[in-house]
Amino acid sequence: MKNTRHLSFSVNGEAKEFLVAPDEKLLDLLRREGLTGTKHGCGTGSCGSCTVIMDGKTVYSCILYAFQAEGRAIETIEGVGDFDNPHPLQTALVEEGAVQCGFCIPGIVLSAKALLAEIPQPTDAELKVYMDGNLCRCTGYEKIEVALHKVIAAGSCGGAK
Amino acid sequence: MNVKDLKVVNKSVVKIDSMSLALGKPSYVADFKPADTLYVKMLWSPHAHARIVSIDISAAEKMPGVKAVLYHGNVPRVAHCTAGQGYPEPSPYDTFMFDTKVRYVGDRVAAVAAETLEQAEAALKAIKVEYEVLKPVLSIDEAFAEGAPIIHDEPDATIPIPVPYEPLKNLVAHISMEVGSLDKGLAEADFQFDRTYETQYAQHTPIEAYVAQAYLDPRGRIVIVTSTQVPFHCRRIVAQCLQIPVQQIRVIKPRIGGGFGSKQEVLLEDVVAMLTLRTKRPVFWEFTREENFRTGRTRHPIRIRLRMGVKKDGRITAFGMEATSNTGAYGGHGLTVIGCCGSKVLPLYRADNIAFLGKVAYTNMPVSGAYRGFGATQAFFAAESLMDEMAEAIGMDPVEFRKLNHIRSGEGSPVFEALGEGKKGVPMTIGSCALADCIAIGAKEIDWSRRTPWRSKTGRYRRGLGMCCLMQGSSVPEVDMGAASIKMNEDGSFNLLIGATDLGTGSDTVLGQIAAEAIGTTIDKMIVYSSDTDFTPFDVGAYASSTTYLSGEAARKAGAKVKLQILNTAAEMLHLPVSELDTAEGWAFSQDGQHKLSFSEISLYSLYQKNQYQIMDTASHITHKSPPPFSAHYVEIEVDTWTGAVQVLNYVAAVDCGTAINPKLAEGQTEGGVLNGISYALTEEYLFNAKGKMINANLTDYHIFSMRDKPPIKAILVPSYEETGPYGAKSVSEICINGAMPAIANAIHNATGARLYTTPFTPEKVWRAIQAL
Amino acid sequence: MKLNEFIIPEDLKSAQSALEKLGEKGFAVAGGTSLHFLGIVEKTAVDISHLGLSGIQKQGGAYLIGATTSLGDLMKFKDQGWVLDQVALHTSTQQIRNISTLGGNIVRVFPWNDFPVALLALDATLYIEGVAEKAYSSDDYFNGQPIRLFQPGQLLTRVEVPVLKPGQGFGYHKEVRLHAGFSLMTAAAVITVKSGRIDGIRVAASAGIALPARLTLVEAALGGQAADAASLQQAVANGTAALAWKGKEGMSDEYAAHLGRVVLMDVLSAALLQAQGE
Repeated sequence: MKNTRHLSFSVNGEAKEFLVAPDEKLLDLLRREGLTGTKHGCGTGSCGSCTVIMDGKTVYSCILYAFQAEGRAIETIEGVGDFDNPHPLQTALVEEGAVQCGFCIPGIVLSAKALLAEIPQPTDAELKVYMDGNLCRCTGYEKIEVALHKVIAAGSCGGAK
Repeated sequence: MNVKDLKVVNKSVVKIDSMSLALGKPSYVADFKPADTLYVKMLWSPHAHARIVSIDISAAEKMPGVKAVLYHGNVPRVAHCTAGQGYPEPSPYDTFMFDTKVRYVGDRVAAVAAETLEQAEAALKAIKVEYEVLKPVLSIDEAFAEGAPIIHDEPDATIPIPVPYEPLKNLVAHISMEVGSLDKGLAEADFQFDRTYETQYAQHTPIEAYVAQAYLDPRGRIVIVTSTQVPFHCRRIVAQCLQIPVQQIRVIKPRIGGGFGSKQEVLLEDVVAMLTLRTKRPVFWEFTREENFRTGRTRHPIRIRLRMGVKKDGRITAFGMEATSNTGAYGGHGLTVIGCCGSKVLPLYRADNIAFLGKVAYTNMPVSGAYRGFGATQAFFAAESLMDEMAEAIGMDPVEFRKLNHIRSGEGSPVFEALGEGKKGVPMTIGSCALADCIAIGAKEIDWSRRTPWRSKTGRYRRGLGMCCLMQGSSVPEVDMGAASIKMNEDGSFNLLIGATDLGTGSDTVLGQIAAEAIGTTIDKMIVYSSDTDFTPFDVGAYASSTTYLSGEAARKAGAKVKLQILNTAAEMLHLPVSELDTAEGWAFSQDGQHKLSFSEISLYSLYQKNQYQIMDTASHITHKSPPPFSAHYVEIEVDTWTGAVQVLNYVAAVDCGTAINPKLAEGQTEGGVLNGISYALTEEYLFNAKGKMINANLTDYHIFSMRDKPPIKAILVPSYEETGPYGAKSVSEICINGAMPAIANAIHNATGARLYTTPFTPEKVWRAIQAL
Repeated sequence: MKLNEFIIPEDLKSAQSALEKLGEKGFAVAGGTSLHFLGIVEKTAVDISHLGLSGIQKQGGAYLIGATTSLGDLMKFKDQGWVLDQVALHTSTQQIRNISTLGGNIVRVFPWNDFPVALLALDATLYIEGVAEKAYSSDDYFNGQPIRLFQPGQLLTRVEVPVLKPGQGFGYHKEVRLHAGFSLMTAAAVITVKSGRIDGIRVAASAGIALPARLTLVEAALGGQAADAASLQQAVANGTAALAWKGKEGMSDEYAAHLGRVVLMDVLSAALLQAQGE
């Protein structure tokens, strides 16, 4: 790769250094680093399956150049929960049957997590606005909404890490 | 069977793969990319119709990183069908891995495998192709016009079954049936109708695009890991294309990111397999979203002419349908989809005189394929729109009109026998049918009683209520087969091995529930593994609304056989007759309650202690019926009469899918199908330039709904019990995509008086229809 | 597009000098979300997102908005005379709003861009900074592709938008097929009402016409007229006859013209209503 450069930013709380090409997208970087929970769905910033959180805000990693993450904090689905300690959002989505093919779900989890960190008790309108960048083709969003409302009502996610 | 006695079935157990997916664990094809993989890029045809006069790959072959280039000159020429269906397929063999002719914008020209994606892309630019551009055929009318260009003029395009196929006339299929006399039925009617409806190109757009990879295992066999709905058909078709034995190929389907019918085709696997054979390297190919739109499969645009007659008292005297579809450049699903226009729609209402004529045209447009709903989607738009028109003509409420005419339990339809897939159908009497309940429950939920005539409405924004009824099928009778194997482990857990293909629907969970119920254990003891041609028994795959009903019955039968083995071993251990024993929740027990053994004890005994054997069994299933699920859909909309914009306010789908094996998953199927149907009705369409190239091939301009766009959708499961299905189940996945288009069309009419005959219902179309009143 | 190099400068001055040195080869990137619409290859990206050009301040009768303020921040900012939250709310999706910037939306203008229309109606002032700062009225700035005004090393640094005063009303509408879609028709208007008459009017549109522009004939027809629906109707009817409306996404031009007039009426009516204090 020509003109590769070192970048440093944190991924899921861990400071890291990466060698990147100038036009490498953050999604490709994350996936080649083994963080495959971030998905490639469209490559044009339309579907949301590549969503990650950068400095507390969701972004599309498929159109974000890796260098734009320099010095920032990136959070991917791998940092959100695990089998022995799933995030309340993950538990709710699973329990409500909101996971069909599941391809959009990591992005849905991250968008909802960023929303609830910013607005712990969002209105329905706020919820829809903050979730408008994640397309799901399987569920019609009904069960996803039910799951998110369940987490909001329980208040289990307010100001979550 | 009392559904209330069921322990695992009819319970909303958690979908078994859902937590791993929510955690983002490696699950999908692209998550398992070998480190030393080669990347594939395809040179696609820029022309809708052209001959490749010459092609020079020599420069591309010498480019950095390039390991192989494929084109028509260096691969076997094998006529085949990309659609994964039964064998021999009811479809023409009209496709070649690479051909000397290109037939749509996005057809294959040449493939490159290189060390990096960038190198593969660069190599594409070095391939020199000289085209003789031919006149393209861009519509059904152009296809059938006198002197039309012939799209498949190659002599080796044939059809493997004896049905009409006339490629020299651009005619892919032609089927017809008549029961009674349509003319006589129309003559008897008090009101006669002759209406024509046209539907648009649309795509499934799973969020995971088409993706496949291949590598050689240590013994030199080809392993294909692919996002497919039809792993076994994929194996057979790749073997055919590469001219190698099926034995040489293993197909694995990991989790897949949605399919909806699009992945019932072999569009990548022949190429990755061939490139792996040529290079001895792993090969990975993923479509871009644009490629997914242009080259991937679509929903057939269909023109449907209905001729119907109705008596003043509401009896339907004639039901005639002429459906002509545009299957695009290749005809894999041409015949079967057009057949379903008739076979899934005509039986819903009683009529003495029924006629169906189906024709399928080749064009130089994107290739149509299987898409959830499968012909019924388009035909229900037509039929259910006209049902409302007829009700209005005789002054009857649309709900009452449908209640009067719809098919009931114990009734048959001559259509079932007349229309099959490339052959006669199978006669069928309806078993379970809760459509009357669906109609009543849905009407109550939406509050149908407040519906007022459109003439009473004024103002810019006008609301309307619309409804429709639907039926589908469950599997293709006496064609489809599914099989399941179950093996018991020391701890009382079971491997359930199924060929059935979970494309996100939850069929692994549903089949696990059925097997657990049959064995007498709990869902957490089931290790479900599906869709691996080396390890799981055969299954036709995920299509035709077959998995729950067909593969589910295989799982139930295998479970029952394993239960019998468990009981036999328990009887030997307890010295009791088998007839006194039963199983439940992982225990075998005597019915007097005196004795019990855990499944683990039984398994340890059978594997290690005495008369050792592996408790396991296999069952296969074919069906002799295709019991329809039924559904009634209701919608409330608001039309901005100044702009023509339609907003869906509220949607209710009441569905009879027999016993819902997993109610939450069945609701999820319904809700997802409904929203897909809504965007198909309102916003989704392929836009083309004058040369047949799609111009909105991205997810922003194609317009599928987000959470912000969606209306509230209420799915109501209305129970019935289908005696021939596993624990009373029928299918649920396809039916609910079909309702939105007719229900919304009827609601637009109820709001404004405007009747839409072409889709989607864009603001301009609605506005023009209102202007024309 | 391909980038062959990137620079992450420490401060505004070094960003400017880097861009100046690069000349045609340089490219300022803030959110970067529109880059895939640009067929640019072989450029060096200069990241301007960390240079302190973000934020919204109220100063006197105006809001000063840093050029790299994200659309999400515009959406969240709330104040009595602040209206750009309405524009941001209907722009793209949350992930885009989070990183896409006001500057990015208005430095290169695509027909579907949302903010030029609003800024024209609001009579904003735009500041381009090189060696010295130069202010442009929105009329001058959007009178052609804004990029024509930038010399290498010059950056849009801030936008000044007047605070909406009592007696003024703002109307904005973006017609889309779905929320995240690109605009089919965008219009914005600011109306000032005094003693029952329209004392001031600025109205602009885009998407349905070639590039964002003020509709001066509509404005002329409305100035001084009675502040009522009839005046609006007449002005829209008379003031739009000469416009060349273009249908998008399969719409005919005829329908686009009709839709344009409906959207203009809606926007003007909303502005009038607010101006009249309702």
